[in-house]
Amino acid sequence: MKTTENTVSDVLEDKKYKYGFKTLIESDTFAKGLNEDVVRAISKKKNEPQFMLDFRLKAYAKWLTMKPPQWPNVHYPPVDFQDLSYYSAPKPKKKLESLDEVDPELLRTFEKLGIPLDEQKKLSNVAVDAVFDSVSVATTHKKKLMEVGIIFCPISEAIQEYPELIEEYMGSVVPVGDNFYAALNSAVFTDGSFVYIPPDTISPMELSTYFRINTEETGQFERTLIICADNSYVSYLEGCTAPQFDTNQLHAAVVELVTMDNAEIKYSTVQNWYAGDMETGKGGIYNFVTKRGKCVGDNSKISWTQVETGSAITWKYPSCILMGDNSVGEFYSVALTNGYMQADTGTKMIHIGKNTRSSIISKGISADHSSNSYRGQVKVNKGAANARNYSQCDSMLVGDKCSAHTFPYIESANSSVQLEHEASTSKISEEQLFYFEQRGISRENAITAVINGFCKEVFKQLPMEFAVEAQKLLTLKLENSVG
Amino acid sequence: MTTTLVDASDQAESALLNLHKKFMSGNRPPEALVPLNEAAIQRFELLKFPHRKHEMYTFVNTKELVSTVFNLPGETVVSKDFIKSHVYPECESSYLVVVDGILNEDLSDNSAIQSSINLVPLKDAVDQPEIKEYLADTIEKENDVFSAINTAFISQGTLIDVAAKKQVEAPLQILHVSTGSASGNVTSHPRILVRLGELAEFKMIVKYVGVQGNYFVNSVMDILVGEQAGVTFSQVQEDATDAWHYSKTRVQQGRNSRVKAVNAFFGNKITRHHFEAHLKDVGAELLLNSVSILNDAEQVHHFVRIHHEAPHTNSTQNFKNIVNDKSRSSVDGTVIVNQGAQQIFSDQLINNLMLSDNAHADNKPNLMIFADDVKCTHGATVGQLDENQLFYLKTRGLSEKVAKELLTKSFAESIVQTIDFPGVVDYLENTLLKKLEA
Repeated sequence: MKTTENTVSDVLEDKKYKYGFKTLIESDTFAKGLNEDVVRAISKKKNEPQFMLDFRLKAYAKWLTMKPPQWPNVHYPPVDFQDLSYYSAPKPKKKLESLDEVDPELLRTFEKLGIPLDEQKKLSNVAVDAVFDSVSVATTHKKKLMEVGIIFCPISEAIQEYPELIEEYMGSVVPVGDNFYAALNSAVFTDGSFVYIPPDTISPMELSTYFRINTEETGQFERTLIICADNSYVSYLEGCTAPQFDTNQLHAAVVELVTMDNAEIKYSTVQNWYAGDMETGKGGIYNFVTKRGKCVGDNSKISWTQVETGSAITWKYPSCILMGDNSVGEFYSVALTNGYMQADTGTKMIHIGKNTRSSIISKGISADHSSNSYRGQVKVNKGAANARNYSQCDSMLVGDKCSAHTFPYIESANSSVQLEHEASTSKISEEQLFYFEQRGISRENAITAVINGFCKEVFKQLPMEFAVEAQKLLTLKLENSVG
Repeated sequence: MTTTLVDASDQAESALLNLHKKFMSGNRPPEALVPLNEAAIQRFELLKFPHRKHEMYTFVNTKELVSTVFNLPGETVVSKDFIKSHVYPECESSYLVVVDGILNEDLSDNSAIQSSINLVPLKDAVDQPEIKEYLADTIEKENDVFSAINTAFISQGTLIDVAAKKQVEAPLQILHVSTGSASGNVTSHPRILVRLGELAEFKMIVKYVGVQGNYFVNSVMDILVGEQAGVTFSQVQEDATDAWHYSKTRVQQGRNSRVKAVNAFFGNKITRHHFEAHLKDVGAELLLNSVSILNDAEQVHHFVRIHHEAPHTNSTQNFKNIVNDKSRSSVDGTVIVNQGAQQIFSDQLINNLMLSDNAHADNKPNLMIFADDVKCTHGATVGQLDENQLFYLKTRGLSEKVAKELLTKSFAESIVQTIDFPGVVDYLENTLLKKLEA
């Protein structure tokens, strides 16, 4: 509900921005535009402590001095940041009675992906029956997590309940002024997830936003913070294979991971946002995400796995800062672009501690008119003795109108390092397909087999059910692209 | 003549523009070159000096260069003995000497190949529509600000024309001599154009040396290779250590043409070599090898762009860099495959050997591919000597020092040995490779 009431003094006070601070606080959805009042109002709405407001204002001040990055290999009309609404209260979606009411196209997709019926209902917002009540499942999970002392809650709740953790760690990995979109996110984020794994704890289950209550409508500026204390382990899943539609065109999330001594975080993402019209390239989500993990402790490990198949534009570099001695960073990625999608994605591995190791496996598949770029940085600082990196980024081209690019940055300032980088670009050859067909395997299945073989190294890093769905997702996406 | 060339940032730009005005009004360039000078300075105004985070200069800090005050070189006499000491045995009577960007005929001797090649001053060459068009086109598309500056300041320049079906037996050596200066910094802008007609064969050695330090040599060489023609060349960069060397080699290849380039770099304050190749027609082949061995605070930066513009074109690149002490090596190489350019083979390999913790080795091997039926690979490694290899040699009774030397030398040798000119190979083994013995 937009508020249109505004007093004369409001208008006089701030001509540039029509709605004053007071009106903002009272409204459920902020009117379009961004200024300091909006930042204050978001903080006030969330009833945040002073340090959070300071954090936001600092980020906002930084943001004002920054420009959107021009270096990515993507092209899009400039985003008008004054034409966005920066806060909208979560509102319940209309519940549907049964699956019959769901868009048949969506159901067809679900079927192809092999999503269980109950999950289908949840995803398409059908009221779920007693057997599979998402709320109760979530509650049981939450209880189980609480028993071992794991905190898993919306970040807005964490700001209220664990302000000391938030104050210490938020912005410690991605500083407020890190980049244009991270600064914007820091100023105006509304919600996201917070995870804290206490020392000596192995999370009894894979954490997923899927099981978090109040997961709907976290907004376009999502903020996630995961802290894994000494000797702990957690695996976190984000997103899902089902196509997601959203009214917000711009998504600028920030994810921060922190691992202490001997801790490990495994972060898996499957992203399938609406990619715009296949024929014209109109619409689609802009996905500008800053994801970064910091291996603070010795022997710690951060592993990113991502399957990117959606969004009109993807700009995303999940990175690892390897500070602790013997720490390990991993990046496994499959990025598929089709239609008119553009992806510029990759990773950064910053080696600071001794004996740090990192490996990068990136598989890019581009089809139709899309453009797919890998951009990765491996940087070894002077003190990072015996650092080791292995990078492999392979691209596959499907069709002759698409493009694949590789932009690795390999920087070394230590003589005891071993860095290796390999890249190749190829296509599915007619010979390969002919071989399959000769053996009675249909062209479509042959392509699936080749693509899955190409991405196998990444898929095997995904949790089981995710991996199965991800494979099917790729097949589905490439359905009309080949042959 | 003492004129400021460059100053910090904006100031540097206006200073350069001022210098250019003086250069033009001082009636330095011949009439025929004036349109080029002017078009290029306009291009410079558009490109501007690189700022700190410019993508093209990620690994090169141009700040010191840009803010240094340069003079145009004065008249310095270069002795014949100095020239003789830098001419390779196979080029004893086939060499051209270019002093501070100006061809010096008295010092040159090209009697052996005089009948096979045609030397045309650039001011006359621009009368030919092909050359005129090519130069205008390159100015318009120029993305390297320093090459634009070169064109803006050319006052002479030479076209080396090899007629169709001509096979030039002896290699031609082009010796670029920078006289430098004991007091203050000087800059020069040599420009060479090489054109090979259909089925022509040509060999060339290009060498850069300095009489003394304190200079900035900003050179451009264009090589136009006609249908089925072949060119083999080597560039040896051995400037004074307290000098800047920026150079660009722009190659344009016709149908079924072959280019083989093997370059060796000694390094200095900053050496930046920009290699740009356009494989414009079916069947063009390019091999680019490069070796650099750096000590102290020397720096070499390679900026490579290979454009595959036609189907069935091949390119291979090998870079080997050895960095010691506080030296810095970087390779920023991109292979671009245009849309419709199918059946491409392209390979790029960058190997770095790091001998010191204070050294830097940075690499950016990029691929930009707009066609699907291609095989493009690139690889980059940074590392040190293999422990096992060292151990093997030690078990054979070699001391650690000798074993290390043997391995580092053989690392560089694998590129040096691909040079087709025995005189150059011998020379490099006695000079460049000696840098590893210190």
